[in-house]
Amino acid sequence: MISRIWRPIKEGFLGVFRHGGMSFSSASAVTIALIIVSLFSIVTINMQRFTQGLEQSVQIAVLVDYDHESAEEEDRIALAIQNIPGVAKVTFSDKEDEFQYYMDSFDDEKTKEAFEPFRSKNPMHDAFYVEVTDGTELEGIAQQIEQIEGVSSVNFGGTSATRLISALGTARFIGAFIAIALSLLAVLLIYNTIKLTIQARADEIQIMRNVGARNGFIRSPFVVEGIIIGALGSIIPILLTYFGYRYIYNSSGGYLVSNMFSLYPPVPFIVYICLGLLAVGILVGLLGSFFSVTRYLRWKR
Amino acid sequence: MIECSHVYKRYKTGVNALYDINLSIEQGEFVYIIGPTGSGKSTMIKLLDGEEVPTKGVVKVVGIDVGKLRHSKVPIYRRNIGVVFQEFRLIETKTVFENIAYALEVINMNKEVIRRRVRAVMNLVGLDDKGNAFPHQLSGGQQQRVAIARAIANRPKVLIADEPTGNLDPAKSEEVLALLEKINQTYGTTIVMVTHDSNVVNKHRKRTIALEHGQIISDSKQGGYVRRDQ
Repeated sequence: MISRIWRPIKEGFLGVFRHGGMSFSSASAVTIALIIVSLFSIVTINMQRFTQGLEQSVQIAVLVDYDHESAEEEDRIALAIQNIPGVAKVTFSDKEDEFQYYMDSFDDEKTKEAFEPFRSKNPMHDAFYVEVTDGTELEGIAQQIEQIEGVSSVNFGGTSATRLISALGTARFIGAFIAIALSLLAVLLIYNTIKLTIQARADEIQIMRNVGARNGFIRSPFVVEGIIIGALGSIIPILLTYFGYRYIYNSSGGYLVSNMFSLYPPVPFIVYICLGLLAVGILVGLLGSFFSVTRYLRWKR
Repeated sequence: MIECSHVYKRYKTGVNALYDINLSIEQGEFVYIIGPTGSGKSTMIKLLDGEEVPTKGVVKVVGIDVGKLRHSKVPIYRRNIGVVFQEFRLIETKTVFENIAYALEVINMNKEVIRRRVRAVMNLVGLDDKGNAFPHQLSGGQQQRVAIARAIANRPKVLIADEPTGNLDPAKSEEVLALLEKINQTYGTTIVMVTHDSNVVNKHRKRTIALEHGQIISDSKQGGYVRRDQ
């Protein structure tokens, strides 16, 4: 029993070693393909994070009419907003907070001093900040909020905000599409390389059949070889991904351009990516060799 | 040991390769099958090793009706026969020892028994010291001896040799013939050797079956290569 498991493993390693040139070229193809997969996965996944972060940061500011600033009225307005489908979160901010935010938005003290006298005669409104579940619904929800009695005005950035969200959605879709297409291409590249490696050994398979080897007996060492080549080919992409991403993350402080574009922290994100690369290498190696050998074992009398 | 009864083989291409073949080969016999190119010799070998099935008729080897064998049973059937080819068909990335051992590993033989058995056949074919050599490091004659060693390693009752001297010079051909005769006499293995080498057939006289256009045109117990027009 043990020899039945051990034999293909031993033969598989021996095969990789003795067909050194072919194994090296196959593993190199796997390496190149997985580097592409890694690069696009990291870019796409982080892009998803950027766009989602941007979408979530787009809020609807709802100003309450001066005549409806009583606690009961504001509770009613909050409830009405909360009941609109697509509303994720409603946060209240009173006029004092609003004034403070306004003041904090100035960097120079002179301007702050100039506005300070208005604190006692605060012209700001009480406000609600509304977050939505889907950025594309922003305009529709804003229009519904506007209809609520006691709402003075609604501000969500207008069409420029919805355009930005729609553009982000498209960018995300295109990014994911390119990543998937390139990953599929990479997988095909690995598959074909392993297929060619086995095609070159069709005679060997024929000889094995001639001496009475069953299909499983012939196939198993080739499958192990495919797995080994896939695993070997994923070593460099894993190292590049792991150390490369950590380097970029650490040297950029975890952000690209501004705080809005924050990168995924390396742990556990990059560990998952590395495990994914190893899994893709092994799985495609396994399937590529399995189907290629099977092709030569399927014969009719 | 080998029985062919009214065997016909017609390929999908429409070629009639064999036509009403009837023959019987007893255990321990050494038989040549001769004939020109296209006479049906290769088809005969393919029928015997289970690569092809007869269109009509019965091919029985070691009591097994080869034509009725289920596809999955062909590998098991092949363990009963040894086949040697003109082009040696050794696995280039395996050593001599590993090439011979492979035929025993497929029947899941014990490792120690494999080792002993391989050593024994290597001694028989005179390649004791070549166990760790790879096929490309051997001469044609030595490679053919490895192929023979592999074919007889699991002690088959029948050994089919398809033009085993076809790629060898006369001296090496002699060596291979002597080896096949030794196997035939030592183990009582039935040997069917396909050849078009008239020198071999005339020098080592055995039962000789001559094929032409897919038919048996002569079956001489005395042997020797006698052309139909002679």
